[in-house]
Amino acid sequence: MDILRIEELSHFFGGVTAVNRVNLLFVENELRSIIGPNGAGKTTLFNVITGRFPASSGRVIFRGRDITGRSSHEIVRFGICRTFQKSSIFSGLTVFENVRIARQAWHGGSHRIFSRRDSLKAVHQETQAILERLGLTEKARLLASNLSHGDQRLLEIGIALAGHPKLLLLDEPTAGMSPRETEATTQLIRQLARKVAVVLVEHDMDVVMSISDKISVMHQGAIIAEGTPDEIQRNELVREAYLGKEE
Amino acid sequence: MSENNDSEGERDMEASKRQSRTVLVFLLLVGFLIALPFFMDNRFYLRLATEILIYGLLAMSLDVLLGYTGLLSFMHCAYMGIGAYTVALYLKFVDPASSWWFLMILGVGATFLVALPIGWLQVRTGGFAFALLTVAFGMMYYTIVWKARGVTGGDDGLIGLPSPDITLGNWVLGSLKDPISIYFFTLGVVLVCYLLTKRIMHSPFGAVLESIRENEERASFIGVHVHRYKLMGWMLACTLGGVSGVLFTFLKCSVSPTVMESSAGGALLMMTLLGGVGTLWGPFIGAAVYIFVQDYVSTMTEHWMIFLGLVLIFLVLFTPKGIAGFRDSLLAGEKK
Repeated sequence: MDILRIEELSHFFGGVTAVNRVNLLFVENELRSIIGPNGAGKTTLFNVITGRFPASSGRVIFRGRDITGRSSHEIVRFGICRTFQKSSIFSGLTVFENVRIARQAWHGGSHRIFSRRDSLKAVHQETQAILERLGLTEKARLLASNLSHGDQRLLEIGIALAGHPKLLLLDEPTAGMSPRETEATTQLIRQLARKVAVVLVEHDMDVVMSISDKISVMHQGAIIAEGTPDEIQRNELVREAYLGKEE
Repeated sequence: MSENNDSEGERDMEASKRQSRTVLVFLLLVGFLIALPFFMDNRFYLRLATEILIYGLLAMSLDVLLGYTGLLSFMHCAYMGIGAYTVALYLKFVDPASSWWFLMILGVGATFLVALPIGWLQVRTGGFAFALLTVAFGMMYYTIVWKARGVTGGDDGLIGLPSPDITLGNWVLGSLKDPISIYFFTLGVVLVCYLLTKRIMHSPFGAVLESIRENEERASFIGVHVHRYKLMGWMLACTLGGVSGVLFTFLKCSVSPTVMESSAGGALLMMTLLGGVGTLWGPFIGAAVYIFVQDYVSTMTEHWMIFLGLVLIFLVLFTPKGIAGFRDSLLAGEKK
């Protein structure tokens, strides 16, 4: 069953067409990667899907509902959670609180003004479960700003997971990670993709080729190819536009 | 796994120990404040202590905005002014014999009603734009109060207002004219406000405000309706400011536009920063230091602001978290 359908979606920055009449279809339990050279419009596409930027034209349909033009917080509540290219976390809060507040925002109870935070028992327990899954339990009481870069990237995935996504958009999750962290994160993403649909923007071709079910290639705002990792590696157009240049 | 549980248990014990120590310090402080009138028979200083409590409450309400929601207001004093003027105008023109609780509801209600549309507009912005809007609206209120001479008395303000009795049901407990009564009355109201606010900031709702302070964009991308919660934080801060305004008129039996001046807004910000943002209790210390220095040094020189400026520069350079930051550094040192 399809989970997200993007129809003829465009976004103009002044005179520049950052996203150009993109059509995409994501299905459930699929791990899709979007690749393309810098400036191809991958992050802008994420921003338009999640309501950070308005769509200039076209539609975004999530599980049969037209979500074009909805605000970010509504789109999150529909079930699309994301991470950012540059880590976006709550630096001054503890690791635990980072995930807990995200879980609370999904779970409800934010209007309670006189009860204690840990009175939301389910939120507390689920936060612990998420931290355990990320391997951050030991660091739960640290301030997020004191985490290593790699752990901050990981924490942001945790924040996104706490929003109980049906579709998870990850923007270069392994950027700046050590090889070992990259390996662990790749494993994590692979596991996640069994439960939720994942869309990955990634520059690390080893990661992309090893875990993607399907790859879409973006170039100058448009989708120029789509297929399995094998098909993409054999595609002449892609080699020319993107892979070829690196060889 | 069991090792992990052990260390967690230890940490919890440490946390509860620290918590009980905090409660002890709080109770000692409250005990001191209750005992204060019995060993300080100088009425002037008792009124000064009352003023410190009132400005402490106002500075604490600014802390809700600045330290918890991450919004900067240069003119938070305006919302004290609205509460103060509402009560003063009612006492002067409508009913000089109204009861204290009616005036309290009236002053706080009026502040709420003014703050709501202004807040609705302001929360659509953030950062500098928000701060500038607080200045713009603050100057507007000030000009209205200053120019509407026929109603507000212009820069003379409203003076010689009657003070209501402190009643509880049919009992008359005292008159707000009496310095000891107004001191205890103010202490009671301020304590209730402090405890309620503390409770609210530690609630799930307070957690949402903190997330907005830390990263507004991230907050909206976990599904928080950021405008709505910023507005709620704003309304809480302004309502508490309104309470302090009502207390102000009760204490002074007068009110003048100086409470709403831009320099009053700056002084208030200084009290909050001096005490330490994000602590709620810090601003009370800040207000105490500020008002005490103002009173003490101004008897020696009219340039007392210079002295206060030096204190502030010292604090900003060496303890960016204000006086409350000292305690944290002390605790951290203890741990090492």
